[in-house]
Amino acid sequence: MREREDQSNQISPLQLLIRRKCIYLTFSEETKGRSNRVRGHSTQLSVAMAPPPPQSHRSPSPSQPSGKSEVSDLKSQLRQLAGSRAPGADDSKRDLFKKVISNMTIGIDVSSLFGEMVMCSATSDIVLKKMCYLYVGNYAKVNPDLALLTINFLQRDCKDEDPMIRGLALRSLCSLRVANLVEYLVGPLGSGLKDNNSYVRMVAVIGVLKLYHISASTCIDADFPATLKHLMLNDPDTQVVANCLSALQEIWTSESSTSEEAAREREMLLSKPIVYHLLNRIKEFSEWAQCLVLELVSNYIPSDNSEIFDIMNLLEDRLQHANGAVVLATVKLFLQLTLSMADVHQQVYERIKAPLLTQVSSGSPEQSYAVLSHLHLLVMRAPYIFSSDYKHFYCQYNEPSYVKKLKLEMLTAVANESNTYEIVTELCEYAANVDIPIARESIRAVGKIALQQYDVNAIVDRLLQFLEMEKDYVTSEALVLVKDLLRKYPQWSQDCIAVVGNISSKNVQEPKAKAALIWMLGEYSQDMHDAPYVLESLVENWDEEHSSEVRLHLLTAVMKCFFKRPPETKKALGAALAAGLADFHQDVHDRALFYYRLLQYNVSVAESVVNPPKQAVSVFADTQSSEIKDRIFDEFNSLSVVYQKPSYMFTDKEHRGTFEFADELGNLSITAESADSVVPAQQVEANDKDLLLSTSEKDEGREPGSNGSAYNAPSYNGSSATSQPLADLAFPSTGISGQAPASNLAIDDLLGLDFSVGTATTPSPPPLNLNPKAVLDPGTFQQKWHQLPISLSEEYSLSPQGIASLTTPHALLRHMQSHSIQCIASGGQSPNFKFFFFAQKAEAASMYLVECIINTSSAKSQIKVKADDQSSSPAFSTLFQSALSKFGLP
Amino acid sequence: MYGLSELPYSSRKSLDYTNTLSERESLALAGPAISYMTQRVYFDFEREREMLQCIFLLSDSGEVMLEKQLTGHRVDRSICAWFWDQAISQPDSFKQQPVIASPTHYLFQIFREGITFLACTQVEMPPLMAIEFLCRVADVLNEYLGGLNEDLIKDNFVIVYELLDEMIDNGFPLTTEPNILREMIAPPNIVSKVLSVVTGSSSNVSDTLPGATASLVPWRTADTKYANNEIYVDLVEEMDATINRDGVLVKCEINGEVQVNSHITGLPDLTLSFSNPSILDDVRFHPCVRYRPWESHQFLSFVPPDGQFKLMSYRVRKLKNTPIYVKPQLTSDGGTCRVSVLVGIRNDPGKTIDSVTVQFQLPSCVLSADLTSNYGIVNILSNKTCFWSIGRIPKDKAPSMSGTLVLETGLERLHVFPTFQVGFRIMGVALSGLQIDKLDLKTVPYRFYKGFRALTRAGEFEVRS
Repeated sequence: MREREDQSNQISPLQLLIRRKCIYLTFSEETKGRSNRVRGHSTQLSVAMAPPPPQSHRSPSPSQPSGKSEVSDLKSQLRQLAGSRAPGADDSKRDLFKKVISNMTIGIDVSSLFGEMVMCSATSDIVLKKMCYLYVGNYAKVNPDLALLTINFLQRDCKDEDPMIRGLALRSLCSLRVANLVEYLVGPLGSGLKDNNSYVRMVAVIGVLKLYHISASTCIDADFPATLKHLMLNDPDTQVVANCLSALQEIWTSESSTSEEAAREREMLLSKPIVYHLLNRIKEFSEWAQCLVLELVSNYIPSDNSEIFDIMNLLEDRLQHANGAVVLATVKLFLQLTLSMADVHQQVYERIKAPLLTQVSSGSPEQSYAVLSHLHLLVMRAPYIFSSDYKHFYCQYNEPSYVKKLKLEMLTAVANESNTYEIVTELCEYAANVDIPIARESIRAVGKIALQQYDVNAIVDRLLQFLEMEKDYVTSEALVLVKDLLRKYPQWSQDCIAVVGNISSKNVQEPKAKAALIWMLGEYSQDMHDAPYVLESLVENWDEEHSSEVRLHLLTAVMKCFFKRPPETKKALGAALAAGLADFHQDVHDRALFYYRLLQYNVSVAESVVNPPKQAVSVFADTQSSEIKDRIFDEFNSLSVVYQKPSYMFTDKEHRGTFEFADELGNLSITAESADSVVPAQQVEANDKDLLLSTSEKDEGREPGSNGSAYNAPSYNGSSATSQPLADLAFPSTGISGQAPASNLAIDDLLGLDFSVGTATTPSPPPLNLNPKAVLDPGTFQQKWHQLPISLSEEYSLSPQGIASLTTPHALLRHMQSHSIQCIASGGQSPNFKFFFFAQKAEAASMYLVECIINTSSAKSQIKVKADDQSSSPAFSTLFQSALSKFGLP
Repeated sequence: MYGLSELPYSSRKSLDYTNTLSERESLALAGPAISYMTQRVYFDFEREREMLQCIFLLSDSGEVMLEKQLTGHRVDRSICAWFWDQAISQPDSFKQQPVIASPTHYLFQIFREGITFLACTQVEMPPLMAIEFLCRVADVLNEYLGGLNEDLIKDNFVIVYELLDEMIDNGFPLTTEPNILREMIAPPNIVSKVLSVVTGSSSNVSDTLPGATASLVPWRTADTKYANNEIYVDLVEEMDATINRDGVLVKCEINGEVQVNSHITGLPDLTLSFSNPSILDDVRFHPCVRYRPWESHQFLSFVPPDGQFKLMSYRVRKLKNTPIYVKPQLTSDGGTCRVSVLVGIRNDPGKTIDSVTVQFQLPSCVLSADLTSNYGIVNILSNKTCFWSIGRIPKDKAPSMSGTLVLETGLERLHVFPTFQVGFRIMGVALSGLQIDKLDLKTVPYRFYKGFRALTRAGEFEVRS
C-alpha cells in the first residue's frame, strides 16, 4: 500500500478502489482511539495557536522555486503522520495542515498532496477537519478522481453525533462539485433536511441548491424542491426558511423555462399566503434574510390599497434598521408599492429622506457612496423634495472625488430660487479647491445652475470673477460656461464681452476653452474691438494649433467676423481658407472648401448660411434622457444605480457566456476584451441566444430617433462621435439604407465636388483570392480571435431578397461557403443572427476571421474583421460584402 | 389560513401613509401600474439568484492574502492583479470607487487598515448588500483578531477561513452577528488559549452549537451567567462642521452612537429613556430594539446582546454653535504668503477640550514654509501636510500659529486655498445635548451596576480659508 502511494498522480480506477478500502480501514482503526488522544494533548494547543513560522507566508510569487521541494517535504511528513497514533500526532498534523493551507492560500499548487491529506483527515479535531474540508473543497474539482477518496469520510462525518460536524461535512460534501459523485449526495442531503438540528438543515437546504447546479435532474428526481417548500412553510428556524426561499427561487426560475409546473411554483412564491407567511415573521429573520424577503415582496402585487398600507405599516420600522442593505431594500419596496398613488409616493419620499441622509453621513465611505448613488437617483427624480436639505450635499475636504462629483450633481439639481445663493457661494469655494478636477466640476455646476435658473444676476457676476482668477483651468472652464450662458441669455453679452475681451488668447490653452473664446470672438466681433486682429494672429499660428475642433471654430469665427467687419478681416479670412484647404484633417479641409465655394457662389447666401439670426437656446439637451432615468429607477437597489445606467447597458450576458466557457478551460484571461471572445461552434448555439438577445435590446433602444443619442454615445469613440450627427443629416432615412451611397453621391454633386471623399466609394481593391478549402479548428479560431486586433469594423446593409432568405442561420452558411468563406459558429433567431466566419488567402497561410451580426428587421449587418495580414483586410471586407450582398439573389 | 388578521399591525390605522385620494380615484390610478409591474416580476426572476462568487483579501502591496471561493463558478486570481493595476493607476490609490466593473466581474471593495476586501459577482445585485457585508467581515475580523493588519490575518488565516465559512454560504450572507459567531468559533486571544489549557478543550471551536441560532433572540443565548452584573452606556458623538471662507458656520451636525457594554445574567429586558428624545433627527437601531415603544413613547426597549454592541445611532442637525473657533488668515503678496491661524474657545462646554489639532495641506505651488506657534508643536510632513498639535487649550492665552509660505517663482499670489481640518475631544459632554434619563431592567430581579459616559469629538470639522 505504501508503495502505491508514491505514484499518487498516476493511478488507475482499480487502484483507487483498493486505496479507498485501505483508507477506510485506517479510519476505522483510528476512530477507536480518538477520544483518548484528544484529551491527552490539549496542553499543546497554545503551541499550535502561536504564529506559524514566517518562512513561506511572505513569498509573493506563486511560482517560486522553493515551492516544489517544500511540497514534497510536506508530502513525506504527512505520510508519516497518516497512520500515526503517537501522542501529539494531532498537533503535528495541525501544523502541517496549516502549512499546506497557507501554501494553497498564497497560490502554490499543493494538489499533489490530496491523497495524503485525505489519509490524515481521520480526526476528531474540528479545526483539523475544517482545514481538511477547505483543502478538499479547493482541489476536488480539478481532481475528480481523487475526490472519490473523500466521499467516504465525508459521508461518515455526516452521521457524526456533533451537529456542527454533520453540518460542516454536509457543506463540504456538496461543495466538491464533481458531477460523477452526485449519487453520493442524495442520501446525506435527504437525512440532512430531516435533521433535528437547525444548523444541519440550514446547510442541507443550501446543499440542495448546490446539487441542483451540479446535476439538476438528480435534484428534481429526488423531489428535493417539494421538501424545501414544505420546510419553508413549516420550519421553526428562520434561517432555514430563508435559505429555502433563496434556493427555491433559483431552482424554479431556471426550471420554469422547461417545466410548466415549475413556472406555476415560481408564481406561487409570490402568492399572498407565502408572502404573508414570510412578512409575519420578518423580524425573526437575520438582516440578510430580511433583504431577501423584502426583495421578494417588492415583486408581489397587492390586491388593493389597504393591503399596501398594511404592508408598509408592518415594514415601517425596517427603515430604522442598522443594516443599510435592509433600509435600501425597504425603500425600494415602498417606492414600488406606491408607484400608482402619486401623493402617497410623495409621502414615501419624505419618509425615506431622513434614513437615507443618515446612512450617507454615518457609514463608512464605501457605504455612504452606495447610498449616495441611490440618493442621487432620487434627487434627480424629485429635486424639489430635497431642496431644503441641500447642505447635506456640501462636499467635505476628505471625501474621495467620486463622492464629491455625485454631490455636485445633486447640488445642481436641488438648486431653486430660495437656495441658489447659498449653493453658488458654496460651489465657488470649491473652485479654489486643491483638487483640480473637482474645482472644474464645481465651476461647471455653477454654470448649469445658471442655465436652469431665470434669475442669473448673481451667478453671472461669479462666473466673471472666475474669468479674472489667474488660474488657467478656472479660466478655461469659465469661458466654456460663459459661451453657453450667452447662447441662452444673449442679453448678458455686454457684461460678459467686456470681461472676455480682456483675456489674452495666449493664456488659454485647452481646446474647449479656446474654441469657446473663438466662438465668442466670431459671434460678438462687432462689440469686441480687436476681434479681427486676435483672430488674425490665431490664423497666423494655424500650424501650431493641434486641435481640429479649434481650427474648425476658427474657420467659422473668421467667416462670421468677415461678414460683420469685412475690411479688417479680409486678410485673415484668406489666410484661414488657404490654411484650411491645406489642412490634413478631413473635416477642417471640407469646411474650408465648403466656405470657399459658398463664397464663390454667392456672398449674401454665404452670410445667411454662416451668420443667420439666432434664437436663444431655451433648453440644452439633457445628457441623460428621462426614459433612462425611469429605467434606472425601476432597478432601484441594484448596480444600475451605481453605474447610472440601466442594467441592459452593462449587464454582460456576453461576459457570463464566455465566463462559463473559460471556467471549463481554467484559463480566464482578464485582459482580453470579453466582447471579442468567441466560443466554439457547438457551444455558441446555446450561448448565442443570450448574446443576440442583448444586442437586440440595445438595438431597440437606439431606434427612437433623437432620443437615441444618449444610447449611442458609449458605442462610438471620440472622433467618430463628432461626425455622427453629420452622417445622420446626410441620410435622413436610414431605414432605406440600401440607397444611402447613392444619396451621398447626390450631395457631392450638388456641392460640385468632383472628387469623392466619403467612405461610400472605396477604391477598387486588388484582386484577392480565397482558398476554397480552408480549415480551422475552433480552438485555433478562439486563440487567434483573442490575439489579433480588430483590423476592420464595418456596417453593411443587406438586400431585401437576402433578408427574405435568411430564415435560419444555415441558409447563409451554405451561401458563404460557395464564396470560400467558412462558418465556424452561428446562432440566433429572427431578427438577430450572429455568425463567426473565417477564410484563408489562396496560396498563403494568412487567415481572416469575421464576426458578423445581422439584424433582419433593420436589414443591417455589422462585421468585425481580424486578419493575420492586416493590409489586405479591406480587400477581404469588400469580398465579404459582395458575397453577402449576393445572398438571396437567384 | 394566512389572512390579513395574522398581520400583527393590520388593525392599526394606516397613520403614516394615508390616502387622500378618494377610493375610486386611487383604484383607477392603480390599473396601469399593476400591469406594468407584472412585467417586472418576470424580468426580476429571470436573473440568477446566487450572489457573491468570491472574496479576496489583499495586503497593502497587492498580494492575495486569502481567497474564499463561494460558488461553483471559480473566480481566477488574476482578477486581483487586474484590480491592483487599476488601484495603483489612481493618483490617490486608496480612494478608488467601491463598486467597479472589471472586464469579467463586478468588484466590490472596501479598504480597512491597509487591507483591501474584495468581492466579485457577475450578476446584478444590491450593491449595498455586498458592501455592507464586507464591512461586517472587516468588523468581525477586527474584533476576533484584536486588530486588523497583514500579519494578524496571515497568522490566523485558519480562523478567517472558519469565520467566512459561517458568515456566507453559496454567496449569500448567513450570520454576521459577532455574538453568535463567537459561540461557533472561539477568538484566538490569550484568554481562550489559557482557558483551553485549563479546561482541556482541544480546539478553538465550542463543542455545542449556539442555542441562539434557533431562538427568537438570535443575538443572545439564554444561559449567560455573570457574578457581577453590569452594564455601561456610552454616548459617543462626532461633530461635523463646515465653516466657510467668510467665517460663517454653513453646516453643523452631530452623528452620535449609543454604545452599550452589557454583562448581565440570563435574558434581561431593558428600557433606556432620554430626557430630550425630541432633538433627534433620525435614528437607527440594533435589531434588538423594539420599534413600537420608540414610536409611541420614545424610549428604547430591548434585550441586549452580550458584550459590546452599538445600540443605536442618531443624527442631530442644525446645531448653531461649535465649541472652538479656528480663524485662518492668508494674505499673499509678491511671491510669499503670510499665514496666521488663531484657535480659541467659542462656547465653553463646561469640560476641558483636549487633543486639539489643526491640520492642513500646503498647496503644491508652495516651495517652502516657515511656521511657528506660540503654543503646541507645528510639524510639516514630507507630503506637505502641516500638522499643528495644540493639546489642551490654555486658559490664559489664545494659541496662534503664524509664518510665511514661499511660492513658486513666477507666482505672485496664492490661488488655491487650503482647508483646515480641526480635531478635538471633550470628555463628559454630549454636545448635541442628548441626555440619558434612566435605564431600567424589567425581567431579571437582581441588582446590577449601571455606568454612563459621554464623549464628543470632532468628525469632519473643516475651516476653509
